[in-house]
Amino acid sequence: MFYADLMKRRSFIGKTALVLVTATGALAAISYLRQFFPRLAGEKQRIALGDPRMFPVDTYTFLEEYNLYIYRDHEGIKAVSAVCTHLGCILEKSIEGFECPCHGSCYNDQGQVLSGPAPRDLTWYRVSRAADGKIVVDPGSSVPATDKFLSS
Amino acid sequence: MENQDIQDKKQRVGIITRNFFLHIHASRVHVHSMKPTYTFGLGIILGFLFLVMVFTGVILIIYYTPSVETAYQSVKDIVNVVPGGRIIRNMHRWASQGMIIVVFLHLVRVFYTGSYLGSRSLNWVIGVVLLIITLLSNFSGYLLPWDQLAYWAVTIGSNIAASARELTDLLGITNWFDPGGFLKKLLIGGEVVGQPALSRFFALHVIFLPLTMLVLMGIHFWRIRKDGGLSRPVKYASDKGPENKWLAWPVLMWTELGLLLMVVVVVLFAALVADAPLLEQANPAFPENPAKSPWYFLGIQELVSYSAFSGGLLVPLLYLVFLFSIPYRDREDRFVGEWFSGKKGLRLVGRSALFAFVLVLIQLIVTIRFGGLRNWFPGISQWFVMLINPATITAGLFMLVAEWIRRRTRSTRMAALVLFTCTLLALVIFTVVGIWFRGPNWEFYWSVNQWPLF
Repeated sequence: MFYADLMKRRSFIGKTALVLVTATGALAAISYLRQFFPRLAGEKQRIALGDPRMFPVDTYTFLEEYNLYIYRDHEGIKAVSAVCTHLGCILEKSIEGFECPCHGSCYNDQGQVLSGPAPRDLTWYRVSRAADGKIVVDPGSSVPATDKFLSS
Repeated sequence: MENQDIQDKKQRVGIITRNFFLHIHASRVHVHSMKPTYTFGLGIILGFLFLVMVFTGVILIIYYTPSVETAYQSVKDIVNVVPGGRIIRNMHRWASQGMIIVVFLHLVRVFYTGSYLGSRSLNWVIGVVLLIITLLSNFSGYLLPWDQLAYWAVTIGSNIAASARELTDLLGITNWFDPGGFLKKLLIGGEVVGQPALSRFFALHVIFLPLTMLVLMGIHFWRIRKDGGLSRPVKYASDKGPENKWLAWPVLMWTELGLLLMVVVVVLFAALVADAPLLEQANPAFPENPAKSPWYFLGIQELVSYSAFSGGLLVPLLYLVFLFSIPYRDREDRFVGEWFSGKKGLRLVGRSALFAFVLVLIQLIVTIRFGGLRNWFPGISQWFVMLINPATITAGLFMLVAEWIRRRTRSTRMAALVLFTCTLLALVIFTVVGIWFRGPNWEFYWSVNQWPLF
């Protein structure tokens, strides 16, 4: 009787230990693997363009630091991503639109794919005026190619 | 006299079993395993190249700093300031490229001699993992100099990892389920290649991958002994005792030391006559044009120029599934150790090669001459661009033909021979086109001389 009780207790302790060790191990594994994913990655901050009159009229200007093309005409200003939707190379301005040096994807002036392996059209970003009066681009947003921030 | 001979042999066996270096081998090696035209010594050459990589790599780590600001300068210092640094870096580079070539030749040798058959299936799988690790080691090492080549090769590579998005975008589920983005974040620690990517690749390149490789190499060599030495034809299978066998020491030892010497001489010679390239410092705003990855990835780059998802992910994954599953689908152990499984197999290999050559060439001519689907039907759905292109058509037709051969010959080994030959030849052709016939904007040029001047 006493012996049977002891065995029960022993197996209870054994099973509890197994559960606890498994849970601890799982938690440790999760927190370990979690380390491979940085919390702050690819946060998109708004970009201040400054005075829109800096950009030449009827022209696409390349912003090297942000990989953006800024288009300005007499009515307003628009911003389009200069990153190819295929494999992330930086597009060059061509006569008909944009061209990728890596695998030859071509886009028109509206950022629509004309040829090549690019899976998506280019993203146009929202341009707006911040509270301090500066013109800003929000790379976290997307707007139709026809949208234009009317600056003048 | 004979007694003396036995005594002498016993003594030698004793020396062998007490000696660590000779312990990697069995004390006796079958005559067939010593035939140079059976193995070409490729596995052992790979081992020696790995040694060269470790020895030169240790020196490079001492002088290299894995930081975006200083990495490029530290590599320049290795080349121009560190005494002998240029030779060490060249050796590291050329030995790594040697590993790529030899690892593929080794794969080809092991496949065509049917050495994955019988109990060797596990060792084949380990070998394929080692092949992948060799490629990953090369790729991770590519980023470290932080030059233009490094930056854009890894930008393209990490976006290939993210190209599962092409599929999830079409299904409209990327916001909830994004395996592509997950993989990219794991690989480069962010959205674009920067310091996190460099740190990660450094850790992968100098610790994780070499250690994994070392452990797997140990298992790989150990399995050869467990499986009864190198594979040999069925007629020798019953040679269990000392007959038809040579003592590993000294015959095998001298052969291997000779190979080691040859490997070092070849790498050293290459390092003396050719410098490892180093372009300008990485510039995230201007890709090289053409932005080409290392030459051994240009076959894949040719495929991704049709579609990132099918060419970079789907077809290579199918290829890996094929490689991993060969020994489990094909159990015709009677073909073990025989080059091309005899005359019938050789004929089949020849025909498969011709078929693959013509098929790939026709598709290349059509694509280069008339453009892709999007040039024929502007505004066509991305589904078609992704699923109907030379990468998927080639892979699909190869699988169909292999299945047809399996039904006709009732032999899985013959089907495996066909599929392996076809895929190998296609890989070679796509790589050749990527290396020599693609210029700015990935357009077709017969030679570099025709490239437009900018």
